Amino acid sequence: MVVRLNTDIVAGILGLVFSAGLWLPREEMGRLSIIFPRAVLLMTVLLGIALIVKGIIKPGVREVEIEGSVGRLVVTILGLIAWWYAIGWLGFLVATSIAFFGFTWFLASVEGHVSLRRLLMWIPIMAVLIGVFYLAFTEVLSVRLPTGKWF
Amino acid sequence: MEMFVEALLSILTLEGLVTILVGVTAGLFIGALPGLTATMALAVLLPFTFTMSPLQGLMALGAVYMGAIYGGAFTAILINTPGTPSSIATTFDGFPMARQGRAYEALAAATIASVVGGIVGVAFLLLLAPPLARLAVVFGPAEMFWVAMLGLTLVASLAGGSLLKGLMGGCIGILLSTIGVSPIGGETRFIFDFPPLQGGIVLIVALIGLFVVPELLSMAAQGHGSLKESNKLEGGALASIRKMGRHIFLRPTNLIRSCLIGQIIAIIPGAGGNVTSLVAYNEAKRFSSDPSSFGKGNVDGVIASESSNNVMVAGSMVPLLTLGIPGAPPDAIILGVLLMHGLRPGLDLFTETGVLTNGFILSMGFAAIMLLPVGLLGGRLIHRVVIKTPFYFLLPTIAMVTILGTYALRNSLLDVGIMLILGVAGYFLRLIGIHAAPIVLGMILGGIAEQGYVQTMLAAVVDPIPWLRLVDNTLSKVLAVLVLISAATALLPGWLARKGLLEKAGSEEETS
Repeated sequence: MVVRLNTDIVAGILGLVFSAGLWLPREEMGRLSIIFPRAVLLMTVLLGIALIVKGIIKPGVREVEIEGSVGRLVVTILGLIAWWYAIGWLGFLVATSIAFFGFTWFLASVEGHVSLRRLLMWIPIMAVLIGVFYLAFTEVLSVRLPTGKWF
Repeated sequence: MEMFVEALLSILTLEGLVTILVGVTAGLFIGALPGLTATMALAVLLPFTFTMSPLQGLMALGAVYMGAIYGGAFTAILINTPGTPSSIATTFDGFPMARQGRAYEALAAATIASVVGGIVGVAFLLLLAPPLARLAVVFGPAEMFWVAMLGLTLVASLAGGSLLKGLMGGCIGILLSTIGVSPIGGETRFIFDFPPLQGGIVLIVALIGLFVVPELLSMAAQGHGSLKESNKLEGGALASIRKMGRHIFLRPTNLIRSCLIGQIIAIIPGAGGNVTSLVAYNEAKRFSSDPSSFGKGNVDGVIASESSNNVMVAGSMVPLLTLGIPGAPPDAIILGVLLMHGLRPGLDLFTETGVLTNGFILSMGFAAIMLLPVGLLGGRLIHRVVIKTPFYFLLPTIAMVTILGTYALRNSLLDVGIMLILGVAGYFLRLIGIHAAPIVLGMILGGIAEQGYVQTMLAAVVDPIPWLRLVDNTLSKVLAVLVLISAATALLPGWLARKGLLEKAGSEEETS
């Protein structure tokens, strides 16, 4: 999908918004803590203004292309965030098993319909993949993974 | 010399060589996992060395360190994910090479460069440790500020088209690095009344998010993996190795320059492999006859990054073994092991316990040599796995490993969230021309620059013009001039191109 967008102006506005977000809470800080970030914030503001001016006078790229399906992109972003949220709620093992299965089914269906038989055949492969990494991190590397409500 | 021979003989035993082989292999696989750094590899494997003799323990840790730094190149090349921060620059050309079907060439080049880098680092350490160590202590806060500034001039070459957007990315990175507790003032900054943010944004979390997540999102949107089968080479994998070997050794300037850069930066405490590989990459691009091909699959970029970061492994031991100053974070663990065995850094280490020290240094040389068989075989195996695995299995697997690796850093789910948020932001920022590399560069150098700047200003509080303290001595003046030269040479080609002077000069050359 191609979107018409003056990328210079967008980048400039983004820099200004980002600077504004950090500029507001700076007053409570002492000199030693703010001296460096203040200088960088000023530079960011100047760069933002320069990008906006450039975008008006001599714009660079004026369109952006999202390669592939925007729908799949959005679903993947939401899926990753849901996976993260579910880890805290359900525990790593359960959340990852559900997310892994869901992602595999969702992405495989790009190539066509995924039969139930094929999905069932994949379960042992997924179990091995998840199990190997789970055991490697918990047993070998001694990482205490979130357990959530069950595991 | 007697100590040197004795040390060599103590390594050349079956037990010694097996220790190095196992250490390199373990380090390689841990280093290849995104989020697991060389420091973590050493920390995880440290307890296994408690039952070993001092030399065997140090040999194992040296081998793990060497393997982990090299292992980061695998994922950098194959899935655009630097396994360790030292491999950031390897992604710039390694991944484009893999996309062009030249993954094994990139892996072979990375392996050969790492082996040479490792051996050169050991040679430097053996021959030049005491004189080089004196250099390390002359780098004060002002000098560190200029070193960081020198690194920041790299933004010009990492900007990817627009210098203004590159600089904006660099500033965003520096500001992200200021979140959390101030290194000098000690106050919390930019945490928006959310106490878990006091710990700041860990570099590796940002690194994984900004490099891996956009790639996963692209793969999902496009509905296929990002790599294609390697081009069939006559003679197979061996031909790739021979081709890369010829490329590296018949035109060794890039390799020599990168090794020298790696060694010089390695002895500066706090700079580390991340800065080393980025500076070496930048210089390789600057001195290349075809700088525009960098970032599009130029193997010299991979060679510069990988040779310099492996020089750093032994190179950073110079200040460690002579002054007790860890040159890079993993060195702190090795310092702990030395102290645990009652060994104190300094001249005594090279005289009274010379066999042990020389044995440790030599074992790193052997570890570098073992990277060749282990790396080439391991590289082939991992390459095949990545190529043959259907993308609908590959994507969730990479996502799972990145979540695990990010969580394991501080046992923090918040870090996983930050990684995902930065990753999604990184995807959209890339669309508008702000790439991940300048942001990460800003994050790496922001902390170094801030500490150097604020400490200098603090020391100069009674001076009439405090900032003049930044150019108070000869070394800081030299570094400041280097920053100016570096910035000018980075900006000059763009300015000349805009004025059309380069084309004019080219056509004049052709007509003459």
